[in-house]
Amino acid sequence: MQIHKTSKPMGILVAVLFLYLLAPVILVFPISLSGDSVLRFPPTSWSLRWYEALFENRAMLGAFWTSLSLAAIVTVLSLVIAVPAAWVMVRMEFRGRDLLFNLFTAPLLLPTIVLGLAILIVFASFGLLATMQGLILAHLVITLPYALRILAVSLATQNMACEEAAKTLGAKPLTVFFRVTLPMLTPGIVAAAALCFLVSFDEVVITLFLTGPRISTLPVELYNYVYNTADPLVAAASVLLILLTLGVILVVERAMGLGRAFVK
Amino acid sequence: MMVERAMAAEAALGTPEGPDHLVLSEVGMTFGTLDVIPSLSLSVRRGEMVAFLGPSGCGKTTTLRMIAGLLDPTRGRISVGGRDITHLPVHDRDMGMVFQSYALFPHMTVAQNVAFGLEMRRMAKVEIRARVERALAMVQLGHLAGRKPKALSGGQQQRVALARALVVEPSILLLDEPLSNLDAKLRDEMRVQIRSLQQQSGITAVFVTHDQVEALSMCDRIVVMRGGHVEQYGTPNEIYERPATPFVASFVGRTNRLSGRVDPSGRLLIEGRPVAAEGRLPEGAVEVLVRPHRMSLRAASEEPPAGLNSLPGVLTGATFVGDLIQATVRIGAGEITVEQLTRRRSGLPEPGSAVTVAWEAGDTMVYPEGRA
Ligand SMILES: Nc1ncnc2c1ncn2[C@@H]1O[C@H](COP(=O)(O)OP(=O)(O)OP(=O)(O)O)[C@@H](O)[C@H]1O
Ligand SMILES: [Mg+2]
Repeated sequence: MQIHKTSKPMGILVAVLFLYLLAPVILVFPISLSGDSVLRFPPTSWSLRWYEALFENRAMLGAFWTSLSLAAIVTVLSLVIAVPAAWVMVRMEFRGRDLLFNLFTAPLLLPTIVLGLAILIVFASFGLLATMQGLILAHLVITLPYALRILAVSLATQNMACEEAAKTLGAKPLTVFFRVTLPMLTPGIVAAAALCFLVSFDEVVITLFLTGPRISTLPVELYNYVYNTADPLVAAASVLLILLTLGVILVVERAMGLGRAFVK
Repeated sequence: MMVERAMAAEAALGTPEGPDHLVLSEVGMTFGTLDVIPSLSLSVRRGEMVAFLGPSGCGKTTTLRMIAGLLDPTRGRISVGGRDITHLPVHDRDMGMVFQSYALFPHMTVAQNVAFGLEMRRMAKVEIRARVERALAMVQLGHLAGRKPKALSGGQQQRVALARALVVEPSILLLDEPLSNLDAKLRDEMRVQIRSLQQQSGITAVFVTHDQVEALSMCDRIVVMRGGHVEQYGTPNEIYERPATPFVASFVGRTNRLSGRVDPSGRLLIEGRPVAAEGRLPEGAVEVLVRPHRMSLRAASEEPPAGLNSLPGVLTGATFVGDLIQATVRIGAGEITVEQLTRRRSGLPEPGSAVTVAWEAGDTMVYPEGRA
């Protein structure tokens, strides 16, 4: 890549754009440290009381753990399903392969509200509403297309000659998969895992249909909280969410560099 | 010139005369509706190195991949040492393959790459370590055993790929344009190295290339391929000196084309002048091929040399390239090139002047017209 010297007006424009995009995120930090009892900017006093309140809020904490375990389970399941599925769709030749691939990645394009309604109708008849299993299944519908797409692209760009070399050296198909294909797919797997985790952890629209007093996720709980109360507790929660997201991105960055994981 | 020198060196070593090792009988490959290899038969002797030589898209890689088992032939039979392997899975074939892209495992070190095939054969750890060490020493890469492929130069990667394929002592070594990604100097070095490794180990090898110098200088025999079939199969010397078709003659080495005619009494005439050639001649319109450096040039005023074929022409241009002078001469409607070693005292006639082109009867190659 070539780096050009940017002109001054251009530089200012970029700075303004960034500020516009990041302002809400940045504003959350001071607000979370507010000592006021209502949401306002700038705060008139400072304290950690809203962090304390957050950690004493049992509903919020429960929702956090639900979200965390839900995202973890969904991520693992997405990979377990998407890795072999992507392999089949990229490496095997069969009729209707492209059609199948487009079908599996299509939910990406569907409005989530439509998806949510459809899932609600189907799950209601199976008694899956407000259950962990229901949430897992619903989130898989959203995360699988992402995982499949990322992994398929990684696989397609992978040098097939390496797999062929392994075969000529005497490796059976499964050995080729575990000793060559999978290790070479690591960047794609890490990227897919990070994305699945964040998408699941962050998901509101579909989850809203499926949660209730019995089980709720953090984003839904926050949504409900804001609906009723307008105090800086949500800011404190947002700060923690931002830090968690940054943490995940940092792990990916450490593992391989963001550019390689997502762009390639 | 380079071609002839390379062949002379090769001929001195002699060719293995072992029994047939790898045999392809009427092998064919069709992709969808595309008949890439209609029917191909050939056999490679034990310990022999055979080149598949041909223009791009003629089916060299396809044939090699069928031998390796990476492609399932649509028709025909492939056998190794008398055993039918046509439908044997790749991992049971015991063949070493060197890919054009080297295909080293990026997540393994050089040593792990080389060890891979041995691990697949469930060899003991100590034995593996010893063999890997020996294989890396053989390609002079012992000091880089711990490196990842990415940290190696092209030539080094190439040698790792070679060591990885050879360390398992495969029954046959397959190489698909292994030198095409290297620069000219390295290519010369690797040519010598690959050939000497192959001869030391006495392994049967198939070498795909579209570089005639590689084929002529490294291999015992050459399969000249074109459009999925074998145009000629023979030693470098046979291919070069007695090309079976005009295609072979112009693909391997350079050649001049003249049109002629063989009259019913068997006399060859070019531009109405009798020309001597060896062997039986096809009657009717013919194409006459002569290599540029087998021709010589002199002023028309000089006495034409006795015992040689000679044709009158007009010198249209000359390029001095140090060792050689390349002259273009118009003969009738056509134009040919004559290459002559430079000598201190004799200059060339002026361009535009009348000249005589001469060559030996044995250097005249005659083919029926229209056989391409
Ligand atoms: N999987 C495939 N599907 C369809 N056609 C193919 C396939 N593989 C090869 N071909 C076609 O078969 C022909 C021969 O290909 P091949 O790769 O064997 O040529 P090659 O002699 O190795 O050429 P090159 O010197 O360019 O490597 C080409 O016309 C190619 O387009
Ligand atoms: Mg090829």
